[in-house]
Amino acid sequence: MTALHPLFALFIFPAGLFLILISFFFEWLDRKLIARFQNRQGPRFLQPFADIFKLLAKEEIVPIGVHRTLFKALPIFAFACVMTASLYVPFFGFKAAWHIRGDLIIAMYLLSAMTVCLGMAGTNSINRFAVVGATRTLTQLFAYEGPFMLALLMPALVAQSWTISSIADYASNHTWMIVTQPIGFIVAIIGLIGKLELPPFDAPEAEQEIVSGALSEYSGRGFGLFKIAKNVELVIGLALITVFYLGGIVNPLLFSIKMVVLLCVIALMQSTLTRLRIDQTVGLWWQAGAILSLAQLLIIILVRVR
Amino acid sequence: MTDNLIDSNKSQKYIVPIGPQHPALKEPGHFEFTVEGEIVVDASIRLGYVHRGVEKAAESRTWTQVLYLVERVCGICSHAHGTAFIQNAEALAGIEIPPRAKVIRAIAGEIERLHSHLLWLGVAAHEGGFDAMFMYSWRDREIVMDILENFFGNRVNYSVNIPGGVKEDITPEFAEQLRIKLDFLEKRLKHYLDVVNDDVTFRARTVNIGTLGKEEMTRLGATGPTARSAGITRDIRVDRPYSGFDIYPINMILDDHGDLNARFVVRLKECFESIRYIRDVLEKIPEGELSVKFPRKIPAGESMSSVEAPRGELFYFVRSNGTENPDRVKVRTASLCNWGTIVSAVAKGHKLADMPMILAGIDPCFSCNDRMVNIVGKEKNAQLWTWEQLRKYGINYHAMQEGFNVSDCGIEQLREEK
Repeated sequence: MTALHPLFALFIFPAGLFLILISFFFEWLDRKLIARFQNRQGPRFLQPFADIFKLLAKEEIVPIGVHRTLFKALPIFAFACVMTASLYVPFFGFKAAWHIRGDLIIAMYLLSAMTVCLGMAGTNSINRFAVVGATRTLTQLFAYEGPFMLALLMPALVAQSWTISSIADYASNHTWMIVTQPIGFIVAIIGLIGKLELPPFDAPEAEQEIVSGALSEYSGRGFGLFKIAKNVELVIGLALITVFYLGGIVNPLLFSIKMVVLLCVIALMQSTLTRLRIDQTVGLWWQAGAILSLAQLLIIILVRVR
Repeated sequence: MTDNLIDSNKSQKYIVPIGPQHPALKEPGHFEFTVEGEIVVDASIRLGYVHRGVEKAAESRTWTQVLYLVERVCGICSHAHGTAFIQNAEALAGIEIPPRAKVIRAIAGEIERLHSHLLWLGVAAHEGGFDAMFMYSWRDREIVMDILENFFGNRVNYSVNIPGGVKEDITPEFAEQLRIKLDFLEKRLKHYLDVVNDDVTFRARTVNIGTLGKEEMTRLGATGPTARSAGITRDIRVDRPYSGFDIYPINMILDDHGDLNARFVVRLKECFESIRYIRDVLEKIPEGELSVKFPRKIPAGESMSSVEAPRGELFYFVRSNGTENPDRVKVRTASLCNWGTIVSAVAKGHKLADMPMILAGIDPCFSCNDRMVNIVGKEKNAQLWTWEQLRKYGINYHAMQEGFNVSDCGIEQLREEK
């Protein structure tokens, strides 16, 4: 791939504007797939775009009892976190817009910061649903974060680099890591579902109990920004797993197909499983997820030492 | 308001309010769950948002009109309401309906049970966040709705009953059509039973949740599938067989676990039993008339009748004073009996996340619970008002709010009386 002008890469393509637009496509695909799995029609192609467009144009209502500055700053901060994280991730077979040593840690830190923003947005409010939702969001963060991080660090261990781009190069030149590290792949993809609070790990925003969870009080622009941030996080997560486990940087078409296949797997899990309670989620991650990823780690270390 | 929250080290109660408007509720009701973390330590319930005055309205309508009125008490078990009421009227009038009409009433009741249980299956799964089951069971419910529409002309409120018999006959063509559709439904229901019994995540949300033992269930007076899921042998169709079930008996479905999963299993197995019953009875419907003549006026007297609605025992009390209109109609629906099992017994100690499913577990129907209550006692504010007084008070109150004079209406005198 030819090198793109840094500013162009930063704001337009592959990070920035293009990423936001493609995230609408992924949201649409996700919703459509689930709808078809559930015997429904599903949204039209431009529906996610129309949703965001409408939300951004609407008035943002600041409820009583919140810290006003924090209330308005949190969505922007969350959005900024996710967009910054996207700079280090190679999308669709193009090189990442930027890379520095150890940017894998930075990217994951920024993605977690976005979840923390969600939690803060909930606790900032005096709405009871939001507070319960925020508690669950943060509880869930501690549940999946460890195993998910391990699952993404294992390719780094194998490639002996903490830079996403070098791991991508390593992955392109070796056997797909889904073959060599199947457990890590499974933990990573389930971790991504947990991170995005999609079913069955959607206890933090279970509408039957706590309406919309931490974001219950958000409306208009703030809600729209959080929504974009979540969509972009989905694309980043898919891209990271594809780069690490499904053969690194390849041509854009093949890369997109791999991402869509991953999305299909996620959509299938979303539509076939019952929502887990938050205690079941935590139990699952620490009893199964953590032990599985530790076992995978142990295998890698043993193989490398020998 | 924030100060109150910060200042809460003196173990302030943290109440999560659900309703009257809430995504989990299909009808308005208000629940307050006091939580400690995720654990519910106390629960209270307040109903009464959808009071419609059906019982009072029944007193000013003729017997035939009341039949159509009570069918609208509940959109889901409308046939059960109609049957329970008209059985009373027929008993008071001293007429016996033809056996063919009886059996058609029973078949309609079982078709209604199928559609009610499928609807419940979807709603209960949705409350647990299992939307795929919700969508599929509601799709299959459409088949039952089609049966109802083809047969009786309406999807809901199909008015099978008329005073003295039934409206529509079951023709051989319709019976054939019904059998084909039931075969398909049975296949689907088998699949749902497999999901309920085998799906790991689904079982994680239902097994040992909301468990209530047989003694406790009996003490709280549960009825219907809720009671049968705890092993209580209580089914009006078997205990006191009414129209049709006295000619061809039906089997009672029991389970002894008493938890949420048992309620799923009992309701699904009841669907199989309903399908079996309809199939068997279609073979041997007695020949004869569909209805007999029903008098315009009914002799004075009192009558009670129970019907096994999909949710449990539906009870009607009717008093006639010898005129064209009933003197009193009293409805006691199944949900009213079952609320106690949630609020007073099950809710405490469970997670907040289990609450929607436990609530849905009894298949609650809100609007048929709501009653107007006269409180007669020595308490300070207790007064017994007639409808007329209440109306005048209302007019007067709003007139005062608006600020115009209503002294010529004779309301001032009324105010002094109270």
